[in-house]
Amino acid sequence: MAQTATTTGGRARTRGRAARYSAFDIVRRGVTHSEWPRSFNEHELRTTYDVVIVGAGVHGLACAYYLAVNHGITNVAVLEKSYMGGGGSGRNTAIIRSNYLTPEGVRFYDRSVKLYEKLSVDLNYNVMFSQRGHLTLAHNDASLRTMNWRAEVNKLQGIDSSVIDAKEVGRIVPYLDVSADTRYPILGALYHPPGGIIRHDAVNWGYARAATHLGVEIHQQTEVLGIETAGGKVTGVRTSRGNISTSMVINCTAGWASTISDMVDVKMPLVTHPLQAAVTEPVKVFLSAVIVSGSLHVYVSQTDRGELVFGASVDPYPSYSMRGSLEFTEGLAAHILELIPSISSLKLLRQWAGLCDMTPDYSPIMGVTPVEGFLVDVGWGTYGFKAGPVAGEQMAQLIATGRTPDLIAAFDLARFADGRLVGEKGAASVGH
Amino acid sequence: MSPSEHWRIERQPGEVIDRSQPINFTWNGSPVTGYSGDTIVSALMASGVRVMSRSFKYHRPRGVVTATYFDPNCSFQVGDEPNVRAAHRQVREGDVVRAQNAWPSLSFDVRAANQLVGRFLGPGFYYKTFIRPQTLWPLYQKVLSRFSPGGEPPPIGTPHEIFDKRFAHPDVLVAGGGPAGMAAALGAARSGASVMLVEEEYELGGHLRYGGVESLAALASLRAEVASFDNIEVLTDSVVLGRYDDNWVGIVQRSGMWAKERLIKARVGTLVVAAGLIERPYVFEGNDLPGVMLATAALRLTGLHAVKPGTTAVVFTANSTGDEAVARLRSAGVQIARVLDARKGDDVVRALGRGKVTGVEAGDGSTTEADLLVTATGWTAPTSLLNMAGDRPIWNPQAARFTPSELIDIRVMATGGIVGDGSTAELVAHGRAVGSEAAARARGEVPQSVAALTPYPHPALFQSTTVGFVDFSEDVKSKDIVSAAREGYDSSELAKRFTTSGMGPAQGKLEMVNTMAVLAEATDRDFESTGTTVWRPPYAPISLGALAGRAFEPERISPIQSWHNEHGAKNMVAGQWIRPEHYGNPAAEAANVRSRVGIIDLSPLGKLDLRGPDVVKLLNLVYTNSWDNLAIGSVRYGVMCAEDGVVMDDGVTGRLGADHYLMTTTSSGAGNVWDWLEMWLQTVHREWQVTITPVTTALVSINIAGPHSRELLSRVTDIDLDPASFGYLKVRTGSVAGIDDCIVWRIGFTGELSFEIHVPASYGLHVWQALLEAGKDLGVAAFGVEAQRILRLEKGHLIVGQDTDGLTLAYQAGLGGLVKLGKDDFSGKPELVLQEARAGDHSHLVAIETVDPMLVPPEASQIVVNGNDIVGRVTSSRMSPTLHRSVCLAHVPADLAAPGSRLTIVLTNGDRAEAVVRENLAFVDPEGVRLRG
Amino acid sequence: MLLIDCPYCGPRNSTEFRHAGEAGKSRDLASATPAQWRRYLYEYDNPLGWVRESWFHSAGCRRYLSSERHTGTNEVRWVVPFGTAAPSSTTDEETSR
Ligand SMILES: Cc1cc2nc3c(=O)[nH]c(=O)nc-3n(C[C@H](O)[C@H](O)[C@H](O)COP(=O)(O)OP(=O)(O)OC[C@H]3O[C@@H](n4cnc5c(N)ncnc54)[C@H](O)[C@@H]3O)c2cc1C
Ligand SMILES: [Zn+2]
Repeated sequence: MAQTATTTGGRARTRGRAARYSAFDIVRRGVTHSEWPRSFNEHELRTTYDVVIVGAGVHGLACAYYLAVNHGITNVAVLEKSYMGGGGSGRNTAIIRSNYLTPEGVRFYDRSVKLYEKLSVDLNYNVMFSQRGHLTLAHNDASLRTMNWRAEVNKLQGIDSSVIDAKEVGRIVPYLDVSADTRYPILGALYHPPGGIIRHDAVNWGYARAATHLGVEIHQQTEVLGIETAGGKVTGVRTSRGNISTSMVINCTAGWASTISDMVDVKMPLVTHPLQAAVTEPVKVFLSAVIVSGSLHVYVSQTDRGELVFGASVDPYPSYSMRGSLEFTEGLAAHILELIPSISSLKLLRQWAGLCDMTPDYSPIMGVTPVEGFLVDVGWGTYGFKAGPVAGEQMAQLIATGRTPDLIAAFDLARFADGRLVGEKGAASVGH
Repeated sequence: MSPSEHWRIERQPGEVIDRSQPINFTWNGSPVTGYSGDTIVSALMASGVRVMSRSFKYHRPRGVVTATYFDPNCSFQVGDEPNVRAAHRQVREGDVVRAQNAWPSLSFDVRAANQLVGRFLGPGFYYKTFIRPQTLWPLYQKVLSRFSPGGEPPPIGTPHEIFDKRFAHPDVLVAGGGPAGMAAALGAARSGASVMLVEEEYELGGHLRYGGVESLAALASLRAEVASFDNIEVLTDSVVLGRYDDNWVGIVQRSGMWAKERLIKARVGTLVVAAGLIERPYVFEGNDLPGVMLATAALRLTGLHAVKPGTTAVVFTANSTGDEAVARLRSAGVQIARVLDARKGDDVVRALGRGKVTGVEAGDGSTTEADLLVTATGWTAPTSLLNMAGDRPIWNPQAARFTPSELIDIRVMATGGIVGDGSTAELVAHGRAVGSEAAARARGEVPQSVAALTPYPHPALFQSTTVGFVDFSEDVKSKDIVSAAREGYDSSELAKRFTTSGMGPAQGKLEMVNTMAVLAEATDRDFESTGTTVWRPPYAPISLGALAGRAFEPERISPIQSWHNEHGAKNMVAGQWIRPEHYGNPAAEAANVRSRVGIIDLSPLGKLDLRGPDVVKLLNLVYTNSWDNLAIGSVRYGVMCAEDGVVMDDGVTGRLGADHYLMTTTSSGAGNVWDWLEMWLQTVHREWQVTITPVTTALVSINIAGPHSRELLSRVTDIDLDPASFGYLKVRTGSVAGIDDCIVWRIGFTGELSFEIHVPASYGLHVWQALLEAGKDLGVAAFGVEAQRILRLEKGHLIVGQDTDGLTLAYQAGLGGLVKLGKDDFSGKPELVLQEARAGDHSHLVAIETVDPMLVPPEASQIVVNGNDIVGRVTSSRMSPTLHRSVCLAHVPADLAAPGSRLTIVLTNGDRAEAVVRENLAFVDPEGVRLRG
Repeated sequence: MLLIDCPYCGPRNSTEFRHAGEAGKSRDLASATPAQWRRYLYEYDNPLGWVRESWFHSAGCRRYLSSERHTGTNEVRWVVPFGTAAPSSTTDEETSR
């Protein structure tokens, strides 16, 4: 739909430039007591848009931003049933890395890391990307073998990734118990120095702010209730706040993706599972790297505020309930203390859950569907936050040019009907 | 500082301290004396300490606010334990207590300079700065992380203390031991229910404990009544953490003799939430100065600990609790300089003073000198547990607080302050009624409703006309919420996240409603449409230790493991199993098998006993090959695929009788395969008659391998081992080393003549030792997993999960010959039929030989074309002690799979090596002469 | 912790069970086209609402069971031995899909 790039005329709208953020501006406003303007322009919901994006998570927001900034497509509405970032994008543990297993995966996530590295500047919003290093521990030789496999694939693609031994692991993270006589001895780890964590809210808000100032509209508290089609093509969207006509709808709803695709009868190979996380009270910073243990199904990092952020694998049965469970915290704590025995007196402060749209091959589903004008950017499972920038960029390119970019070609929906799954499943472990 | 009794007042009727038992501890290095029953904070207050901490962002001095567990300013380091809630934790002799967030000291904290730049540190400060130059961000970040508000992490090597867990199944669980909660417990217990009554404080009583004489009298009789019921279990210093699906309730019991903390998990009939009310701070300039505290804090300190919180007080009151504080302070000898009554339109505009309160400015512009400002401006209902049961609280404008809406889940009820107000008698009556209804519901009776307890009207008081702190622990001011809203973070969730209000240790209990009120005003909305944010579990923090309980990571070991350990085994972890990797020299162990004879303990092998007339049908369904003609006394190797054609397991199955088979699986796959077989039998072919019994641990499995294995076995068995009658792939039963009913089969994973014996487990060690004894002259020696890996690789036998991965189809694993697409059906067949057409697209498992025979390419080395294009990888590699060259298996694309194809391997050090694809997977004895011998 | 009322064992914690997938998929080998087969393999209704599904009581009686559960609230409406008819009280209309 390359032509829609130019159909933005005839609309009166605010498109004011975003206020500049810098230390200087902070001081200036502090001294002059001048207030910061709105970060997100407000709009009435209109009755027609060139592109309607469902879901204001990082994927929907990034797609909107890149549509506007890279392709000049700004007659775009992002519809969100709750608040922006209210889905997985505001609930994840914000681990960013590119040390995947398959060449197609590595290429794709590496592009995302590159975009993240300059995102603060691009968006003029500090997203606090902290490339503090990412360690995936191996507790048995099967997982060590997988770590080696990943390291080799990574290295050949120019990714900083290698397997280090237990001693080195202990040097990087002295709090880890690297002695050999534990139940799950640490035999080594896949070490990925550019991996790290980020402020998820800042990413969401930074994209939203930049996108709305380029003319995109974000409508929170606006639930999509149905999608209209005629002759196999999308014609409009029904929302809780009125109907919209459009020929292009992008499903960016992650855990809810099946419910949206159902509206146009596109069945998806997705199962929604809750994924839980938890934080402790803050203590002075003692953990520099992100630690993941596939065998123990846990991972941990420490924020700059000193809280330990924990996660684990998805809940064992499908559900859209985000209430969380006690057994999750029990298992989590037991496994964390296997790794870091000295912190048993630290207290868990809060737990929460988000929804993950799991695919059969631990890889996303991006691109066209049998319904013309209905695109998907889903299947983000437990690992999709890190892909926000690249997915947004590539989806925007697909929308603008009508052609599926190479970088996402392997992730098409048709691969399931064709029996060409992506090989990330080769190494099943906690995939964040 | 010297212990001073100046602040301690005369004996109070409800005091909980034992004046005959002084307790000594240190505070920032100075000795302090309190009494048994004091909290750390009450002892400090009694000694005249007023500044308890420095705030997180601005490092402002802070004092007692609530004097409860959730006091935002009273988290201390006690010994090695960080973040101790010192307004709750009782003093212990010798405690070393330190303030956490102050440097170099509480009284002089350099970082208080942050206050000067406070106007620049507004909400979202970090988001707006340190953007350029990007290269400096990591440095900034290091600095920022120094400002972390918590205590010191326990030092490395701190032992995992003893924690415990317990299950409970009370008919009724009452969360909260105030008057309504005690009454609910009584109401339920009277109807015969088993009741658990959980109270966060050290004693039952709730607000009655620090009330007046009448309250104390009511409390005494309630306590006596509770004590008279055997079917009420009282847990004090315990908190209900959360209510999860189907009334699964977590409780943390903090003090007890068995452990440091205990997690109780209760499946509750009816949960009664009687969590009372939390007093809300008021927002005005200087509301965080030490000396500004809640009315309940003043009542607690005076009533429970006999501590006078100040000398001259101003009390700002909007309710009877504030009025009571006036009377109490007066009787404690505090001079009441002024009472400001919100009900009459009075207001507090600011607290004056630097570092402590020195005066109070009222709404009428007048100022009063005082060192204590007590506020009583309203309540927050801690509806957390009700929210977890699906309840959405609604804003009650008359009462100026959230109250529960309709409790939709009949297994959850509420009583007391959380739902409404009343005299002690009214609260108790409501509690009793709710308790007896809770018991009835737990018995399964049709739910009846209980007359409601309605809240009293209360003025809506949140903030004065000045700017004050909304969240003490996060240093968030009211104006921060306002600017967040102006910047577009105008919904409750966005405002909370942007300002971090309510994200600190109290998790919104003190902050949420004020945040909402400020936001509502800033956005010109009412409370209803501003909404509330979700309270997330746990209700109170719980230690990781208590959640983990005692370390319980089950291990499985073979009955022969003691022998292995005594003989120098180096063990490895293999799933749940711990087993010998080798006994010192794996290459020598492997060589011994090739030249003489070795024995290996294969007990972890999965084993399933299958019986019934339809076993063959089942085997045909789950294995890719055909099982129609397996004779009694024969065994066969088979591969299992999942429905998507991917290899999931492999193993040998033997036919022991007409309708009797023994199946072996990989050791890690044993559980899965068992479930898998049951799935087919129970959900797809329900008409088949097969009974499966898992016998993995009932049998010890020992493999005897090597040219002398027949000789060795013959010395201890009555089974006829003559190759003519007991050939390759045959199974016999008989006695081994005097043990009857051993199953022996001939297979050859190692490529050698070998016999696998399955012995009743309790005789395993005996048979093992008998074999070693009998074969001394034959050179028998134990070998471990590593030697077995070498041997199988020399023979070109694959390992599922190593030479296959999560997407490897049966064809790709060199197992094409075992896939019988002609069979009617088997798991994976439809997919394999479809994929067969595509064989050219697939990778294949091949054996490869490096051109340099001494080079062992590490497993996972990648195979590339055109520079760095990955097309395959080495899945297994070893130096062969038999051939004295490296042997490898690898996945390569179809166009490189033909024998003789040359490959480029990238080694892990980056070097490249050449290799050639072999004709056959087996390096040693491709014809199989040895194993058939 | 979800409670599942096993018809053989009585009410038990969900941690004793393994979720065994959505019910109602038919493994029709003979007539399946490749597309239909892959649909069987990979696609799910994954509804937000009532769903019929199977559970395996792996740490109990080791029987497969059929149930109906609401994926929004996790309420379990009924549990029966696998292959037994659903209780008549629930019509297909009530079960959203
Ligand atoms: C606990 C947890 C930890 C995680 N950790 C990591 C990690 O460390 N690293 C990583 O990379 N990934 C992680 N993830 C995964 C990651 O969060 C997600 O993959 C990612 O956020 C998906 O982003 P999204 O924009 O596609 O979807 P979401 O952020 O979920 O946004 C979807 C939005 O769609 C909205 N919506 C749904 N239905 C409708 C409708 N009918 N109408 C309008 N709007 C609708 C929702 O309200 C929601 O806001 C984690 C996930 C969780 C839950
Ligand atoms: Zn059962």
